[in-house]
Amino acid sequence: MKRILPLAAIEIFVWFVLLAVTFLISKVAIELSFGTTTLVARVATQIVRLLASGTLVLAWLAAWKKVADFYLSRALSRSGTNA
Amino acid sequence: MIDIYSALSLGITFTATFVTTFAATPIVAKVMKARGITGVDIHKTSKTEIPEMCGLAILIGLAVGVVVYCIAMPLAIRQAAAFIGSVLIAGAVGIIDDLHPLGARMKPLLTALACIPILLLGTYVPYAEVPLYGSVRLTIVYPILIPIAFAVTSNSVNMMDVMNGAMPGTVAIIAFTMVGILLWAREFRTATLAGALLAAMLAFFYFNRYPSKVFDGDTGSLAVGAALGALAIIGRIEAVVIVALIPYIMNSFYGLSSVRGLRERREIHQRPTELLDNGLLRASNQKGAPVTLARLILAAGPMGEKDVVKVMMVLTAVSSLLAGFTYWLTVAVK
Repeated sequence: MKRILPLAAIEIFVWFVLLAVTFLISKVAIELSFGTTTLVARVATQIVRLLASGTLVLAWLAAWKKVADFYLSRALSRSGTNA
Repeated sequence: MIDIYSALSLGITFTATFVTTFAATPIVAKVMKARGITGVDIHKTSKTEIPEMCGLAILIGLAVGVVVYCIAMPLAIRQAAAFIGSVLIAGAVGIIDDLHPLGARMKPLLTALACIPILLLGTYVPYAEVPLYGSVRLTIVYPILIPIAFAVTSNSVNMMDVMNGAMPGTVAIIAFTMVGILLWAREFRTATLAGALLAAMLAFFYFNRYPSKVFDGDTGSLAVGAALGALAIIGRIEAVVIVALIPYIMNSFYGLSSVRGLRERREIHQRPTELLDNGLLRASNQKGAPVTLARLILAAGPMGEKDVVKVMMVLTAVSSLLAGFTYWLTVAVK
């Protein structure tokens, strides 16, 4: 249990952040628009949406990695295995 | 509610896949052993030689299951062909990799090709279902994301396939969740295909569980990863599958970021775990060692391989539960 609980907590944290990120993507990134009149405008809109969404996803992954790195170093030092 | 014809198709497909995979695995193992295609079980002190590439049995089982499904439900042939086409392409890449190891960059590139049947048969809807929001139109971006999705799912499953029973055990939990969610979504055709994957995983788990009698090799893991990607896209449960795959993403993303980019297992000299004389595993204390899920589990102290896999399965069950909540949130908003 001492192994499962912290890792399951990381999963739940990651899930909450993922929901927050998808909410931000849908409310902010997807609302970005350069119009739909020309093909260039439509492609530009989709590219900007993709870049904005990608940035948010990278922020999600960075938060995830920070939490996991913190857990790893703490668990290794507690168990007496120095990293 | 599921109609009787769909329920029967699901049952027949499940049974055909399970029986075929179960029967084919020992035969494939015998052939591989006779041809000298074996691998060392590195997490055992005895360093036993185990037949490799037995994931071929999973491919055979899924192919037979899909053919049976097409006979029972001819209307589902497009979805079924896209699914098995993707699985077979990724499996072929796995066979090449097992026989002549591919480079760290070439493997994701080739596995991305598994998306071709989905694109050609048009079995995708470019409207992603986003939790807490609903449908999002991605007509141009969606087809670009499909090959990336295949490269990610295939290689994530491949990277998780490091311990006895880890791959079929955890994928079986995800496939079971997918069957439930797809039935809930009334996507009976994709639910049946997910049922075939579940059956193949359960049959293969019997032989691959601790102590392993067979290894699936990249043939099995890449094909199974592609199957998950195909089901996510055909069944329109992309967000749900991302959540269910959290332990896989955890494993591959930490691993890749800690070794700074794409590296083949053979190129990484420090191992994430170490085998002790008493047969237990412990997390590596080397600073440059990859941060994998196994290393995170073992960070709290040494334990046996069988128990590490059990923890992996519990974590997958947690992520699958969260995937269920995610689907519920998506439906609730709708």
